[in-house]
Amino acid sequence: MSTLAQKPPGSFGGYDAHQDHSAQAQKRADKWMIPGTLLMGTGILGIIGFPLFLWGLRLQVNAAKAGLSVRPVIVTLIGYLVIIDSTLNSAGWMMDLVANHTLINRLITAGWGAVFDGGYFWHYNEIWVGGTGAPGEKAWQISLIMVVFCGRMAAGIGLLQMKRWGQQWLIVFCWMGLIVWIGYNLNMTFYGDVRYANITFPVWGWWIYDIFYITPFLAIPYLHTVNREIFSD
Amino acid sequence: MSDKSVSQQDRRRKRALIVFQVLLYSYLLGLFLVQLHMSHERGW
Amino acid sequence: MNTSTAESLPLGTTAHYATMHKWLQRALLVCLTVLVLEASFTLPGLLIWFGWPTLSLVQVCDELMKVRYSDDNAQCLVPQPLFIASEGQAYKKSAQDDWGIQPRPRYKRIGYRDLVRFRDERLAREAAAAQHRGQLVPASADTTPAEPASPTH
Repeated sequence: MSTLAQKPPGSFGGYDAHQDHSAQAQKRADKWMIPGTLLMGTGILGIIGFPLFLWGLRLQVNAAKAGLSVRPVIVTLIGYLVIIDSTLNSAGWMMDLVANHTLINRLITAGWGAVFDGGYFWHYNEIWVGGTGAPGEKAWQISLIMVVFCGRMAAGIGLLQMKRWGQQWLIVFCWMGLIVWIGYNLNMTFYGDVRYANITFPVWGWWIYDIFYITPFLAIPYLHTVNREIFSD
Repeated sequence: MSDKSVSQQDRRRKRALIVFQVLLYSYLLGLFLVQLHMSHERGW
Repeated sequence: MNTSTAESLPLGTTAHYATMHKWLQRALLVCLTVLVLEASFTLPGLLIWFGWPTLSLVQVCDELMKVRYSDDNAQCLVPQPLFIASEGQAYKKSAQDDWGIQPRPRYKRIGYRDLVRFRDERLAREAAAAQHRGQLVPASADTTPAEPASPTH
């Protein structure tokens, strides 16, 4: 967007109009992608949100093809994807944290645990706060929701607004993903008996299910190599 | 855009990022294999 | 994809990183798609795996509790009353574990539609036990004629 801003303003009659049209096109696309993302963040309604999101993405791509200066597609994908990844994680963990005795949570979280991760089945809803009783799990849950996912969502919104702080903070919160993945997995490995013994799909199940949460690692190389002039202060 | 604009710094950055990705994914693969081994060892 | 001219490159992407960005974008789209599909189908998929709609949602919840605590009497309170102890407190004694610094659970593995099977087996067990008791009732009824009604007559 701001590559165009390097031209002296007002020197070219169509410039302001072009900026206006671009902003409007971006807004029109976001109007579809934002509700799509909210629905995808809920989990079960994602299948409704996904087409809305794709439609918005299509509008944005078409606007770019028409010569308007809208966000690059990859920035849109990274921004919305880190928001979805954080919402899905936070929603699941918030249920385990504060809604752990609801029927829906006992079916989805404890049920998921019985199939993929015994940490969410073994002595589930037994400690006084309820929810998972696996060693270390509650601590990860609370700290990651409060620090990593909150921060990553905020940074993702900043990135979508093409703000410099959004890019910079998303780099920080994506690098935190490294600590999350290394630490969380080591904890699972050390308490592997709790996590994997006698569940339906030991080891394989968890990895296939969870590996698609590596999104921060796909964002890091882009955020470090994008021309940062496209983000504004 | 001509290729001579590619600076030495860009080349080093690209390499560092590729090394990072390779290391990270090998770590994850390694941990997965360790767990798979434990799975057989301990009869999960 | 055409990377020969600057015009065809997305904003912010220099020619040097064009290929890298292209592949990152593809991987991001794959992740997004899979995450959305997973999140949407986890609950229905699990329920079908466990035994719904043969079992109601509450029955699935009950059966999960019985497996978790290796106890036929364990059940889900729906709704769970507020401000009482976590549900596991009532059943923790029956849970099967190898206790140690790294505890190991000994509950049953839940295969495809196993909760239906577990329930059928338990009902059959209970019916057999009831029948066994029923056969004992007439014998004892003779010694206790004050019993108003015997279920076997």
